[in-house]
Amino acid sequence: SSSSISTAGSGNRADLEREQQGRVELRERYLRSLFAMAGHTVHFTMYERVNVSASFDASDIDILNFQVSNLQTPLGVHREALLRCSDIISYTFEL
Amino acid sequence: MSEWQRKNPLEWQTYVNKEVKVTAAEKHEYKGWVLTIDPVSANIVLGKLMEDGKISVSVILGHAVKEVEIGNEGDDEMKEQLAHLFMPEESKAYGQ
Repeated sequence: SSSSISTAGSGNRADLEREQQGRVELRERYLRSLFAMAGHTVHFTMYERVNVSASFDASDIDILNFQVSNLQTPLGVHREALLRCSDIISYTFEL
Repeated sequence: MSEWQRKNPLEWQTYVNKEVKVTAAEKHEYKGWVLTIDPVSANIVLGKLMEDGKISVSVILGHAVKEVEIGNEGDDEMKEQLAHLFMPEESKAYGQ
């Protein structure tokens, strides 16, 4: 995550506000994409060419873990599971 | 932390509404229109219109992003569609 409050230069107030406004817009859209994904089947591409799919339930606020249900894996179906986002390369769903 | 993850929100915003090609870990490639980039995780959200009228949304996790190439800029109609994609009040009107 971007830990610094400002990366837009030497404390110029207008720049800071612009950056903060940009952060808000980007973040709101991302959170809405998570809402839109809830209850949908999501296909996950993991490292080592592993592909799984599951129904998306929730994420934590830092986007470190996804809670999913009916996780379909090559070894069977898990009714409830947590996926670590650090293991995921991408995920896809349809609207 | 990669160069992509270190960008600031104003830099990320320059990608929004553009068509991009993302190269990710293990040589995976993704193409689509940038809907947003999560400023916390640097995850890239791409939208793609499917032939059946549905929209495919692909998200590449920030830690797995290797390269992002910018292609076309969306026209106003495309921007409008992308901007309202996840808005609950607009979603009903979307298909009309």
